[in-house]
Amino acid sequence: MQVVRGIPKGNVVELLGVYVRYSGSDRPAILDVNLEVPPKRLVLITGPNGAGKTTLVETCLGLLKPMRGRAFLLGADTSRREVVQARRMCSYVPQDFMKPPYETYLAEHVILLGFSAYKAPFEPVNRKERERVLWATKLLGIEELLSKPMGTLSGGQQQKVLIARALARRPMVAFFDEPFASLDRESRTLVAETLRKYVDSQGATVFVVSHDISPIVGHADITVKLSDGRITRVEGC
Amino acid sequence: MLNIFSMAILAAILAGCLCGAIGFHVDHFKVTTLSFSISHAALAGASIGIVLSLDSTYSAMAAATSSALLLGLIFSRVERGRELVSMAVFSTSSAIALLAIYMSTARVLATTSVATVLWGSLLAVTPQKLIILLTVTILFLLYISAFRMHIDAILYDKKLAEAEGIDVQAHTLTLLLFTSIAIASTLKLTGGFLVFTLLYNPVASASQLARGARHQLILSSLLGSASAVSGLAISYLFNLPVGAAITLLSSLTLLISYGVRATVERTRLREASKIN
Repeated sequence: MQVVRGIPKGNVVELLGVYVRYSGSDRPAILDVNLEVPPKRLVLITGPNGAGKTTLVETCLGLLKPMRGRAFLLGADTSRREVVQARRMCSYVPQDFMKPPYETYLAEHVILLGFSAYKAPFEPVNRKERERVLWATKLLGIEELLSKPMGTLSGGQQQKVLIARALARRPMVAFFDEPFASLDRESRTLVAETLRKYVDSQGATVFVVSHDISPIVGHADITVKLSDGRITRVEGC
Repeated sequence: MLNIFSMAILAAILAGCLCGAIGFHVDHFKVTTLSFSISHAALAGASIGIVLSLDSTYSAMAAATSSALLLGLIFSRVERGRELVSMAVFSTSSAIALLAIYMSTARVLATTSVATVLWGSLLAVTPQKLIILLTVTILFLLYISAFRMHIDAILYDKKLAEAEGIDVQAHTLTLLLFTSIAIASTLKLTGGFLVFTLLYNPVASASQLARGARHQLILSSLLGSASAVSGLAISYLFNLPVGAAITLLSSLTLLISYGVRATVERTRLREASKIN
């Protein structure tokens, strides 16, 4: 498999007989997971609480290492340091994104921090990056939040800021963990449509973890169902 | 040429500023127990230096950087029991320090070389040590300026920064190495048992008095310098150990900071209830 800039050749994610266990736990959080995801897809990962959805996403990103089996992100083995390079072409919106009321980072700064990984020492933010921030915030209708400290924003607003950060990076692969959890119905529809458009226009692959499938199921190309740490069904692959 | 007092004051300003800035990052990178262990490894190194008749600053530096590398690598590979590994390094280092002092030719703890390492002394500052401290301070400022965006991303959300391809492991290791060199350079001024005070108390006070990360960083450096210089002055005026004077002053500052914070919160609540 080859990692290239632009649309990747081969699968963007490959999990081969992967077991992941949290330290201190006897039972693996995911067991014998096999998954191959080709480029330009919107992938919905669903299942009940504790099914292993977040573990699966964090394994794809190499934040969790398999105790058995192998995981590849854009062709990079996630147990090796080469995964750091692959992650630069990815975005992530974690489930636990909420910051406390005293968080003083402005929303604009938080989105701009998404470009940090590409930056050389002493390199400042450039005009193109500021334009991308405006582009992403316009997509989600949150331009007016840019000058506000994160701590003063509601859960839904903070979640939209992080989704904007993920999109502003123009990733080849993006992982959204429960992106609808704090959003109202209108915003859910908007985010789901935005992600679909992003996949189609950029040729990217987007993974959406959601126990509530209603906002996104109509847009998904592949649906992966998890239960008790195992993939029970893959539809549309 | 600078006299011994001018050099001690300059060293105190630099040490306070450097440790305050490093302490801010240590706290936000959540590697406080590691830095605590590294400071005791520095003490062990300095004590070994006394036994082997070496310059204890350099032996402290060697031991501290080795432990920083070891702990940094362990932390990147071990998930569970990291704090316990760190505490094991702390207790082992303390034991080595005490054993080395016991084995040294010094028969009483007040012997100059031993006292300097344990309690600190303004006489320990030499032009060479001052230059080392200045160099480390400049290098650290350059590092945090060069990687401001990377570091800011880690300070905002470490896991998110890692997921986006920032080499959190490399930055953590770099920070631990700076911590080890800063501790070793400051050790003879403040004393080995209290050197970490300058890492923790200023940032704890700053977090009570300021909210923004940048303000906390600057305030932590200023409070570190102020504690170090005033501790030095009190030590000179009342003939007290430098380390103890600096520690007590920075602890007093921390206490006052909590008081100020509580008063500000109470006033805000009162004003808010009046408006409602």
